[in-house]
Order: sequence, then structure tokens, then C-alpha cells
Amino acid sequence: MLDSLRARLLAWYSLILVLVIGTFGATVCYLYWRSLVREIDLDLARRAAAVAAAVRPAPGGTFDLELPAGVAREFGGPNAPAPYFAIWTAEGELAASTESDPGDPPAARPATRSREGRREAILAAPGGALVLVGRDAADVRREVWSLAGTVGGVGVAALGLSLLGGWFLAGRALAPVSRISRTAAAMSAGDLGARIPLDRTESELEQVAVSLNAAFDRLDDALRKERQFTADASHELRTPLAALWTEIEWALARPRTGGEYRQSLETCLAAGARMRGVVEGLLTLAHADAGTISPMRIPVGLKTVAEEAVVLLRPVAERRAIAVTVRGDDVVVDGDPDRLREMITNLVSNAIDYNVDGGAVNVIVSGAGGVRLTVSDTGVGIAEADLPRVFDRFYRADPARARNAGGAGLGLAVAKWVAESHGGTIACKSVPGQGTTIEVIL
Amino acid sequence: MRILIVEDERAFARTLARALEEEGFAVDLAGDGEEGLFLATEVPYAAIVLDLMLPKRDGWSVLDTLRRGGRQTPVLVLTTRDAVDDRVRGLNLGADDYLTKPFALAELVARLRALIRRAEGDATPAVVLGHVRVDTAARRVDLSGVPVALTAREYAILELLVLRRGRLVTRSEIHDHIYGEAADVLSNTIDVHVASPRRKLGREMIETRRGLGYLIDA
Repeated sequence: MLDSLRARLLAWYSLILVLVIGTFGATVCYLYWRSLVREIDLDLARRAAAVAAAVRPAPGGTFDLELPAGVAREFGGPNAPAPYFAIWTAEGELAASTESDPGDPPAARPATRSREGRREAILAAPGGALVLVGRDAADVRREVWSLAGTVGGVGVAALGLSLLGGWFLAGRALAPVSRISRTAAAMSAGDLGARIPLDRTESELEQVAVSLNAAFDRLDDALRKERQFTADASHELRTPLAALWTEIEWALARPRTGGEYRQSLETCLAAGARMRGVVEGLLTLAHADAGTISPMRIPVGLKTVAEEAVVLLRPVAERRAIAVTVRGDDVVVDGDPDRLREMITNLVSNAIDYNVDGGAVNVIVSGAGGVRLTVSDTGVGIAEADLPRVFDRFYRADPARARNAGGAGLGLAVAKWVAESHGGTIACKSVPGQGTTIEVIL
Repeated sequence: MRILIVEDERAFARTLARALEEEGFAVDLAGDGEEGLFLATEVPYAAIVLDLMLPKRDGWSVLDTLRRGGRQTPVLVLTTRDAVDDRVRGLNLGADDYLTKPFALAELVARLRALIRRAEGDATPAVVLGHVRVDTAARRVDLSGVPVALTAREYAILELLVLRRGRLVTRSEIHDHIYGEAADVLSNTIDVHVASPRRKLGREMIETRRGLGYLIDA
């Protein structure tokens, strides 16, 4: 029961309420008692003064008491709480009393005191005598207790009402919590579209809900990307695998001629090459993500590396009469030659794949104002809408064209990683129909 | 049986077409969604093999548009996407079957044949007409329990007539089903292909409606 936030809230609430009502009731009773006592004290003081005025000192330390009849009648009557008086001489001897037990002579004077449920006032009379007037205070106690009873009853009733209201209010205040927890449960159960409904955004819990919804959005987005990546990766791997499989099945279905076998094997090789490209790209990026590759740092001639990359790609370019040139200074950078060559290979082979027959690819290395490597082509270009996403994994502006050119959509993602792991940046500019320029600054 | 393959992987599509042609299908190829939709709408294919990730118009859209247009051609979705959501979406849009790449050729062929049989109203692969038994799964014809040797074309024509038995099949329908769009065949070639099974199975088996086409009685 006390595990529930609602019950704990209510327990604290009722504790505070009991303290408040208790303090309030006690204060009321105390003040009432004090006012009653003050009234009695005034009355007693008036009577004491009347008695003291009747004391006539006599020679020899004694005195006479000449109480007027009106005053005398007020003492010792049968009706409680009838007042009584007592008079002591200056020597402390009880000289006169209407009460059987007037107690000890008071030490201080003038004063009031409470003794054995009575209230007494003491006054100095002429000749050193002491006058004490007292009365029983039981009626005061009864009245104060009766008031305490009333206050207590009202307090308990108020407490009960407040607890009911508190239980209801705590429930209402906590309602958003259960909404939030229901949504979070749905989210963790896989319903990524679940969001916390917002109706009163000014309350603190609704602010929490807004933040949580934002977190859910990001989680949803991340999972969507993850799913897209998995779908893309499986597509890129399964497509050449299916081509390989079907080709082999076809070739084995019945005896074929030597030429047919040769053609089949060429198809298989092309599919294998494509799978290799996807696997290499994925592994590079997986290592990059895991941070398990720390690129080598040795002096590398950037132009030399670019020329090494281009030599291997030239036969492909020449089949489509595309001229590939490397120009500029052989700027030396600290880096990993294999990774840099991979990056340049990716950039140049993209420039060839997306080029027009008879086009050109220019690789320029320059050391002025930072080390700069640009790869520009005279190809089909990239639409402006696609530019922000060209470095995304598996992103392709024109899927059909790229796929038949053998790309998996990982080349630029790998190039971007290489550039960034060398502390550089990579950027893409393009004019559709005229060509694309990729610039790497190290 | 003339079928359409909508697949943007050129090399893979060619291999698949070659393999299916050896299994007795006439195959047309479409390299993107638009071309696929156009062919699927214009030509009465026995079945369509549809990739989902296609340029210009994706496979879901092709399927949806085709079904909205009232085309009931059986569609087998052939794709790398194996998520349950994708399968459900494909089937909900009116796909008849779903096969994930890579696949075994034999399975694709068996599923295609089953789809075509169901579309023509036969759930079982074997059809018995008098003394003649045509097993469309094994692609085998028996006359009184004795196997009859037919060429691929002869069998294909006989199978079409058997699957549509009781209905008149015109020469142009036979042409469309037996040859891909690339073929240019004289119409009397079909008469030649019909003459042979008729000789082997008995004259009364295939009825000729002069000027219209052929018919096998149910």
C-alpha cells in the first residue's frame, strides 16, 4: 500500500494536516483558557482589594478585620465556585480564613497562583498583612475541555474531508504518470508509433511527457534507420547472391556448351565481385563504427597514391573512352596509404560510373591553403535534393543505374570515413547534366 | 505459358528468363516499374514475377495499380525484402505468392505453375480427359497410361487448351501464351504445333473452330 505514490503522498498530507489542526485546536483552547483565567484573576484581585481595604492594623502586630456586609456575603457561600479568603500576619501566621485549607503563605506578592485546581490572588494589606482570595477553577477546566471536545470533533471531520479530497486530487495529479507509463510500456513492447497524449502542456508532468515524446521520436527514428540499413544491406548482399545461385542452378540443370559455361562463369564472377565490394565496404564501415581501426600515420605522397588508384581504373574508363588525368603537386601528408588509395579509388570509380561515354575525370592535388584533393567529372551530376544524402550508407540517387554499374552505395560513405579519420572533410558539389566535384580537404 | 518478369537487375533477369524458358515458359522482361505495369496491363500474362525495389515505380505500386485496374493476373513477388511487414503488405496489395531471393529455381517454377493452375481453376496438377492424363506439374502426358512424347511447344499448346478446357482458345491467345514479345511467328506455325498432339492423342481430342481457334471439351 505504501509503495503507491498516491498513498505516500496522502500519508504525508494527512500527517501535516494533523499537525496543523492539532496546533490550531490547542492554540484556540489555550487562548480561551487564558481569557477565562484572566477574568477570574481580575475578579479575585477586585475582591482581594476589598478584603485588604477592610484590614485595620492594630498595635502589637495584630489587626482588626471589618468586612462590610456586602463583601462578606460574597465569600463562603454554598454555591461553588464560591470564593474564599485568608489573611496572614506579617509574621506569617494565619490570622483569619473562610477556607479550611488555605495552603502555605505565599512567598511573593502581589501575585496570582494556581494550587490544587484552584486559582488564588494575593495582595499586600496595610500593616504587612497578606490577603489571599481564591476560588475553585473546576468550571474553567470543564469549559476548556468542552471547547477542546468541540474543536477536536470539527478537526477530525475536517481531516476526513481533506483526506478524501486529497486522495482524489493525488489521483488526478498522478493520472499523467499512469498515461506516461502506459505509453512507455507500449513503446517497449514494440509499438514505435505510441506517443503520450498531451492536453495540458502547462503542468510539470506534461513537460516530462513532451520530453519523453521527443525521446521516443528519436528512438523511433534511430530504429527506422537501423531497419532501413538492415534492409539495404540484406538487399545488396542477396541480390548478387540470387544472381549467382540462379546462374549456377541454370548451368547445372543440363549439359551446356563450353561457350555457355564460360558465359555463366563470367556472370558468376561479376556477381561475386559485387558481393565482395559490398562485404568489404560493410566490414570497413563496421570496423570504423566499432573504432577498431586506427589509421596508420606515415608520410604519404597524395599524388602518388592517386596515380596508383587511377592506374587500376583506367582499363574500365578506356572501355567507355573516358579520359582520367591526375595533376598537381605530390603533397606529402601523414596518413594511411591503403585507406587513402581506397578513398580515391571509390571517388574515381564513381566519377567513371556516372560519367557519359567520352567524358573526362580530373584528379587534382594541391598543397596551397591546406591539402586539397578534388575529383571532378563531366557526368550526369546529382540533383540538388539528393546532395545532402550522397554520403549516407546505401544511398543512391538513381538506384537502377548505380546497381547495374556495380555499385552498392557504400563508396562515398567509406570515402567520408577515410577523410574524417584523417582529420579532414569531404564535400560534394554538382550541376545536373554537367558533372560532379568531390573535394577532400585534409 | 507466357509470363512477365519485372526485375531491374539485368544480368539476373536474363538468367532467370533463360532458365524459365527452358522450363517451357515464354518470358517477357521489364526493367522498371513503368514498363512492367504497361506490359502487365496490355498483355494477358499467365503470371507475373515482380521485384519490389524497382526504378521509376516500385513493385508495390505496380501491384496496387494493376489490381485497382481489375487485372487478376497471378503475381509472384520475388524480392530481397524478407521482413514480415513487407510480406504482409505485398499480400494485402494482392500478391498471390512471395519468394525471397535467393531461391531455388525448382521452387520458383513449382510455385509459378501452382499459381497458374489455381488461376485457371485447377488446384490439382493432373487433369484427366477420357484416356488422356495431363500432369502439369511433371509436364507429362499419358494416353491410356502410356507416356506420349511431345515437344516443348506442343506440350505448351496442349497445356493451355487443357487448362482452359470447355472454352474456345483463339490463335492469337495461343500465340501470346507460347511466344514472348520478341518472337515473330507465322500463324500457321500454331496449326502445325496443334496437329502433332492431335495425331498422337486422337483427332477428337482437340476440336478446330475454323477461323477462330481451338477447343478441348471439358
